[in-house]
Amino acid sequence: MRRDVFQAIADPTRREIINIVARQSLNLNAVAGNFQISRPAISKHIKILTECGLIVIKQQGRERYCEANLKSLSEVSQWIEQYRTFWTKKLDALEDFLNKEAAASKKTVNKQTRTKSSKKLKRK
Amino acid sequence: MKNEPLIIERTFNASVERVWKAITSKDDMKQWYFDLAEFKPEVGFEFQFEAGTDEKKWLHECKVTEVMMERKLTYSWRYPGYDGISFVTFELFPEGEKTRLKLTHAGLETFPSDVPELKKENFEFGWNSLIGDSLKKYLEGTTPA
Repeated sequence: MRRDVFQAIADPTRREIINIVARQSLNLNAVAGNFQISRPAISKHIKILTECGLIVIKQQGRERYCEANLKSLSEVSQWIEQYRTFWTKKLDALEDFLNKEAAASKKTVNKQTRTKSSKKLKRK
Repeated sequence: MKNEPLIIERTFNASVERVWKAITSKDDMKQWYFDLAEFKPEVGFEFQFEAGTDEKKWLHECKVTEVMMERKLTYSWRYPGYDGISFVTFELFPEGEKTRLKLTHAGLETFPSDVPELKKENFEFGWNSLIGDSLKKYLEGTTPA
């Protein structure tokens, strides 16, 4: 099974777990105390998070503490940044297109008006 | 935590009607977006397009999931053969003579991170030059409304 940061944050419970332990390291019971779902379920999520490298388990005395390792999350923002670049460029192109269309419609006002009114008939 | 969808807002000097046409009419989409064989703003309508680098084109598979005439359009966006599914939503808000477009791309984190071509190359080399440069050049030199 795939084990990476994307897998880790694909699940809302895991995202919340990361949020919680990012604020402070907690033992498993304390983490589970924040959720309605069962302790074994939380335990499983934490296991996945450790396998994905987002959480590190540290033994302190008799307790095992979950500590967030947020370095790997930068992978995600990099991913999102690429799409941001993509969409920004697309919307630039859309803006240019709309401006060009407006300029063109000044020349052929009648044609433009006809096109617009026919579009109004489109179904919902 | 970084799992919020990607959101970009932009205000266009055009009516909602025109912006809607630009994002839903095949002929208009070809001018700034992708050259699709067909497009219909109808729930369940599926379309595909290829984009990427010269060496490797990625097939994009999309399916319209929500349509509110001149207000909202959502379609799924995935790469056949790969894990993950994302959703692209265009929302239009009239602001006087202008139109604010809110683009939301959700679910990007579900895409695999172990396919380099799905990440960097796709966007930095392929699409950027396609949409950023060629199209801009093609569309430039026009006077705003």
